[in-house]
Amino acid sequence: MERRMRGRGVAASWYGIARTATIDRAGAWAELDDGGTAKIVTGVTEIGEGILTVLAQVAAEELGIRPEDVTIGDNDTARSPEAAHAGATRQTYMIGNSVALACRDARAKLDAVIAAHWGVEPGQIEAFNGEIWAEGTNLRMTMEEAVDLAKKRGVVPVGSGAFTAHGTGLDPVDGSGSPWQAYVFGCQVAEVEVDTVTGEVQVLGIWAVHDVGRAINPRGVEGQIEGGVVQGLGQALMEDYRLENGHTTTHGFAKYILPTALDMPQINTVIVEDPDPKSPLGAKGIGEPALVPTAPAIMNAIYDAVGVRITSLPATPEKVLAALAARAAAQQSVREGAQAAE
Amino acid sequence: MSDLALEMTVNGRRVKRTVPPHQRLIDVLRDDLNLTGTKEGCGAGECGTCSVFVDGKLVKSCLMPAAKANGARIETIEGLAAPGDLTPVQKAFHKTGASQCGYCIPGMVMAATAALRANPEADLEEIKERMGGNICRCTGYTKIIEAVELARDVIAGRISADAFAEDAAVGSFIGSNVRRLDAPSKVAGRLRYAGDMVMPGMLHMQVLRSPHAHARIVSIDTSAAEVLEGVACVITAADVPGKDGFGVFVHDQPVMARGKVRYVGEAVAAVAAEDVLTARRALAQIRVVYEELPALFDAGEARKPGAPVLHDYAPDNVVKHIPIRKGDVDRGFAEADIIIEQTYQTQQVEHAYLEPEAGLAYVDHDDVVTVISPSQNITHHRHMLAKIIDRPINKVRFIMSPVGGGFGGKEDMIYQGMLALAAMKSGRPVRLVFTREESIIVTAKRHPADITYRMGLKKDGRITAISFSLLSDGGAYGLSTEGVMRKSAILSLGPYDIPNLTIDTVGVYTNNTPSGAFRTFGAMQSQFATECHLDIAAERLGLDAFEIRRINMMRDGASTHTQQVLGSVSIGRVLDVAEQASRWEHGPVGMRGPQRSDLGGDDTRAPCTLGARFRDGVGKTRQEVA
Repeated sequence: MERRMRGRGVAASWYGIARTATIDRAGAWAELDDGGTAKIVTGVTEIGEGILTVLAQVAAEELGIRPEDVTIGDNDTARSPEAAHAGATRQTYMIGNSVALACRDARAKLDAVIAAHWGVEPGQIEAFNGEIWAEGTNLRMTMEEAVDLAKKRGVVPVGSGAFTAHGTGLDPVDGSGSPWQAYVFGCQVAEVEVDTVTGEVQVLGIWAVHDVGRAINPRGVEGQIEGGVVQGLGQALMEDYRLENGHTTTHGFAKYILPTALDMPQINTVIVEDPDPKSPLGAKGIGEPALVPTAPAIMNAIYDAVGVRITSLPATPEKVLAALAARAAAQQSVREGAQAAE
Repeated sequence: MSDLALEMTVNGRRVKRTVPPHQRLIDVLRDDLNLTGTKEGCGAGECGTCSVFVDGKLVKSCLMPAAKANGARIETIEGLAAPGDLTPVQKAFHKTGASQCGYCIPGMVMAATAALRANPEADLEEIKERMGGNICRCTGYTKIIEAVELARDVIAGRISADAFAEDAAVGSFIGSNVRRLDAPSKVAGRLRYAGDMVMPGMLHMQVLRSPHAHARIVSIDTSAAEVLEGVACVITAADVPGKDGFGVFVHDQPVMARGKVRYVGEAVAAVAAEDVLTARRALAQIRVVYEELPALFDAGEARKPGAPVLHDYAPDNVVKHIPIRKGDVDRGFAEADIIIEQTYQTQQVEHAYLEPEAGLAYVDHDDVVTVISPSQNITHHRHMLAKIIDRPINKVRFIMSPVGGGFGGKEDMIYQGMLALAAMKSGRPVRLVFTREESIIVTAKRHPADITYRMGLKKDGRITAISFSLLSDGGAYGLSTEGVMRKSAILSLGPYDIPNLTIDTVGVYTNNTPSGAFRTFGAMQSQFATECHLDIAAERLGLDAFEIRRINMMRDGASTHTQQVLGSVSIGRVLDVAEQASRWEHGPVGMRGPQRSDLGGDDTRAPCTLGARFRDGVGKTRQEVA
């Protein structure tokens, strides 16, 4: 066997969006504000996934303004409607759709005033990028002017929205039930190089293909996938929280090993869009599903490279070397057995 | 030792301070100069979030005694660009989406700036190596490295600075790469996380933690700590006015240990004092008498008759068992041509978000108990805290501060209750910032799993039956174990149509560090086993890895393992795209032979070789593909 061996493996995955086996819900408030800007209030903030930017994009699209015109707050149980928790791959799905609905509510109030002003049907009113117009006419104004007009007519264009995802609990005996209304699917291919002298595994390439429903911000989706892949790689190859009689022996980053920039593979992401039919935006999610297939794809690639199957994570150099030695010993005994039989 | 007189130049301004001798450079920057863009991620020089320039050299400020910075010229993230402006490196981070939670980002920007100052023509390999001392847990580094390359090319004039501008939205803002709105505040170090926040009159909290995995608390004597100068209050479980207990599903964990400790690191008492040092000295004055109890360190042992019982409500130590049944597995296995059995193990994993837990609590003018923290679930925390402190729900307020990485690890209310109690008892704002060691020892981990897998298949690759069981060590408290067992079970067998199945997931109590929510909530553990098992099956049957998945995949209208009928199922499309995108070479698992063209393409990176930069010199580190 050559010292450095390469191989590839594949793993698929699926995931449910939002809370499991229960009714999930979230609320939001929206106001088209002076200057053609907007306030969006919902009880959530950024945990790094980019939700505030996603919500600004959704609000901008629904209200007909620009993302930078949107002010988002307020992650506060005393000042904002319930958004519930930041987890379960539910932010874009639950909060995104609540914000879309709240914005539609606010826009309906504005559109009614503007349509009456122009003498057209509210259904003719369209808005994008800070401009509002009546379809099929040359009637047009800025959103700043439209909000000003509404207020002079005594209307403050505010709206609220709540979104519900209908999951059902599991039967306690056979587990039957409909835990989520939206599912996503994924598949990753890993290419690894195994050093048969040191046992070290390097992941050189990952092809990550994930259905996200509808990508609100493709670069943000890529970021989630890249982060998920590298977390999956860490779990596959190096991370290991150890305890001895209840005391950890891995109490810092010198002992608990994490992937660095030198460990990251080239990650080739392809986004697949199978829109969710049960929600206004059609988006589903990506936060958690991104890392589900990474570790098994890497284990399957190690097998392809050197013929050893690591079934106990992580595949540390020590474990890979022990498996290679066991495999060599087994092959040796097969050869001896064959010779003895001759 | 007497205090030190310190003179430095910080971001171009002369500063003079008198500081205690134990202070590190990071303490002076953050606490005395309010330059909180420099973050503390580990306090041990291992993560790079505290990187600054000292006399032009990149230094981890948590490792540098303040005294050694005397006379030095210091540059922090706040000093890289004028207020309101960004450097090319910062603009590039904004453009590529290099910041997610943002906590590592000031350090990353400093390291990237250092790399390009050292070698403006640094290539990809050199950039990666120079950034290798900085940990990011969110991004997978890809967009960070992309940003550094973009900045390099703009600085060198090879491409126009227009490259930093936002991509124009065409017809819709949905589906367009709008730059992250929070990025400027993160790349400039302006965003304040909970540990960066201060209030007038604020006290500092430190927590006394259990040295035992399982022990009865005979007595706690806090009298010596309470009379120490500078101590405002000491709190224990006795200070809880309402119904003590929190958890994501079962409320089995007290705010502080009540009668018993169940894991090493569990909070026993807490002190709020004028400064951290005084609070730590006070902890040393608290006398706790323990009577050690037999402890459980293994999930298998926890289920045996006669095992120690951790929680009275669960005499069998089982937190949750989720069963799923479909079809007739006995018939399914009888129909199978081959049956494959294998066990799998996955480990406990630390979230390792770069922002250690931190929070600030106060009682406001309307008597509202307010907690600011990077909580991933302020709605539920408010419900639980209202019961714990016995106040109406509108007298409890949770504010979610920017979360410096969560991944599920900040869903548990493990310290907010203590902060609220101390704020109520002292009448002053109280802040607690965990050390990295504290964060690792105290907070939940990804559930480990022991999986037993049995799969029956026909010769053509169709799965006839699966029996799957998973045992998981939930640790000392329930936290999210119930939900993790549920999600793990529902998703365990992957996106495949399995006619006959039994699934059992069981989470148990032990005296180990609790397991809790962690990105995928149990689904990666169980699907890891399924995806490895399919590879074993494909090899036995001489099938390609994609082929065996296609043969068994769910199709539109499929009935899931829980008998839910689905609408559109995209797995077929996803597999097709993945096979094409990866230039997958078709062939049976384990038999693809030496003649292959799929490996080492342009869409993979070069392998690193130990010592590469020393052999060829800096800047020539790219290795030949082996």
